[in-house]
Amino acid sequence: MAGVGGGNDFQWCFSQVKGAIDEDVAEADIISTVEFNYSGELLATGDKGGRVVIFQREQESKNRPHSRGEYNVYSTFQSHEPEFDYLKSLEIEEKINKIRWLPQQNAAHFLLSTNDKTIKLWKISERDKRAEGYNLKDEDGRLRDPFRITSLRVPVLMPMDLMVEASPRRIFANAHTYHINSISVNSDHETYLSADDLRINLWHLEITDRSFNIVDIKPANMEELTEVITAAECHPHQCNVFVYSSSKGTIRLCDMRAAALCDRHTKFFEEPEDPSSRSFFSEIISSISDVKFSHSGRYMMTRDYLSVKVWDLNMENRPVETYQVHEYLRSKLCSLYENDCIFDKFECCWNGSDGAIMTGSYNNFFRMFDRNTRKDVTLEASRESSKPRAVLKPRKVCTGGKRKKDEISVDSLDFNKKILHTAWHPKENVIAVAATNNLYIFQDKIN
Amino acid sequence: MEYKVEAHRIMSISLGKIYNSRVQRGGIKLHKNLLVSLVLRSARQVYLSDYYGGACLGSQRAEAGEWAEGETMESLEGRSSPGAAGADSCESETESRETLRAPETNAQASVEVAAERNAEEPASSSDYNWPQGGETDEERAPGQAEDSTQVPSCPVPESRFECGAANADEGPQSPAAAAPCCTRKRSAGKSPYAGSPVKRPRPGSVPPANTEGGDASEDMDTGNVSSLITIFGSSFSGLLSKDGAQAEPGAADGDSGSGTICCEQMLPNLSPWSTAIVAF
Repeated sequence: MAGVGGGNDFQWCFSQVKGAIDEDVAEADIISTVEFNYSGELLATGDKGGRVVIFQREQESKNRPHSRGEYNVYSTFQSHEPEFDYLKSLEIEEKINKIRWLPQQNAAHFLLSTNDKTIKLWKISERDKRAEGYNLKDEDGRLRDPFRITSLRVPVLMPMDLMVEASPRRIFANAHTYHINSISVNSDHETYLSADDLRINLWHLEITDRSFNIVDIKPANMEELTEVITAAECHPHQCNVFVYSSSKGTIRLCDMRAAALCDRHTKFFEEPEDPSSRSFFSEIISSISDVKFSHSGRYMMTRDYLSVKVWDLNMENRPVETYQVHEYLRSKLCSLYENDCIFDKFECCWNGSDGAIMTGSYNNFFRMFDRNTRKDVTLEASRESSKPRAVLKPRKVCTGGKRKKDEISVDSLDFNKKILHTAWHPKENVIAVAATNNLYIFQDKIN
Repeated sequence: MEYKVEAHRIMSISLGKIYNSRVQRGGIKLHKNLLVSLVLRSARQVYLSDYYGGACLGSQRAEAGEWAEGETMESLEGRSSPGAAGADSCESETESRETLRAPETNAQASVEVAAERNAEEPASSSDYNWPQGGETDEERAPGQAEDSTQVPSCPVPESRFECGAANADEGPQSPAAAAPCCTRKRSAGKSPYAGSPVKRPRPGSVPPANTEGGDASEDMDTGNVSSLITIFGSSFSGLLSKDGAQAEPGAADGDSGSGTICCEQMLPNLSPWSTAIVAF
């Protein structure tokens, strides 16, 4: 793992940016999820318009050894369409909430994509040959009269331009009353879970007409509702273990071997609240927006509004590490409540070795924390620093007093430019950062 | 008391958010509305706790110092941190705890026909650096009233911002996980305070805080709130009609009927802003 601080040899460089440069961003183009596949060869994005765009990394060229493989568009398809629930008079948004790749088992790639209500399994396959030479059809395509065919001609496979096809193989619908916020593929590669505000369901990838409900926190009387599920994930190695986070800042780890309905947790992770920092908005900012297991399975990371916390699964009463993402916003919570920014759901991710973590912030800033050296860095995804292989300069927010050169004051931050979705290549130091409608790809500098 | 202005402002904003959530694409988001209702509840707690804290002090000390402060609410200069201002208010409230119960109960009684709480949720910590305290029935009373106006699909949970006036001596509290919060049903058939012996309905008389609220509301901008009050006033069916589609049908039905009774009694007597507050 390379360092994240600017002090040592490691530096992040701009690699690519995808998306339009227009100032007016169409809402449908706003990226809503980013995910590398297991090998890192493919990078999928979903947007608010219900589309999925998959980028594929090019093989490194021998001609240009210093240029790493670039990501180019591999496939684009419309995953979800807007729907209308006539019974409840509700519109169902087509926004892709999450994409999760399945481990590759053959030449085709499979991914799960979900909007608020429906999960779809997509098969992305390549076609580079076409059968030609049928004698069953006329030249204009009409079927020939069978009596006129006197010989059998076996068609021959001829090469054709590569075509990437995406086809929906399974549609998992009608299982969620509330809005789906998470999907997670199990390590058994046969099942996956989907979570909405109050329930978590377990599916088999082959079976679409039913699912098991494994968590249900809906109270008998909805007026007694105090918390909702905000994120859920399967353990990377133990197929019987999963976690889910709540709007109260707690995480519950459940073991599916214990009971069919995992309403009673096996472990309960909660950090005692600091009473001195109470405010009107304490509960909002403690709501967990994302939970991710480390690749090792030993740790998990949670993101709340102002911080990222790393938990050891063996210790429930407090996290082992806490990183402040943008503590300077604590005094601005009222304004952030007014403009709805306080409800933004930031995601977080681990690097391949679990030595560093990354999460987004405002003003197109994103933050990286090195768990070993305890260094952190703030970088910016901007068009200005988008020259090929340009080194990203660390940014700093001035929290008070005299503003130094190159610092930016808190009041100058653009809260419309938020980085909610980031992804880290599973093996290399390549990161994908979604800034509204643009996807930035950064790589480490090759010295 | 600047934090009271702040509380008022946050309440207005929260009301607006809940109202707007009805027309947002994709349906009502349960999570966001739950959080907004928490903030709304907290703000209301702060607003009302000072409300009645002032009334009690006035009656105890026979002076209108608190109310005089209230008159200057329109000045928004220098919003003090809620903690500092709140702490002062709470400490004074601690002294007047006993008398605090009555006015609060009054206000609740005149508005609330809500059912009793089923269980308690512990006040995990206090707001604004107030000393930690246990929950009491009377402290929950404001929270109960507030529930009744919430969107059915986003019910108001028990607030943890109780004015922790005393240490937890109200008895052992069960963990939050097991505690349902007070119901927002306002069915006329139920006894309002079956589970809360302290609360006593006192017909008609609303504490002098009402007057102060009236004065204050003239100074405050109630333009946006008035339209919302209209919705709330009309038996909450304005909110429920759209939300009921997604929420539990039972809750929606139960609330819309009894809400009418309550609000119609209150509306002629109170100023618009106070109406909104006590309606919660």
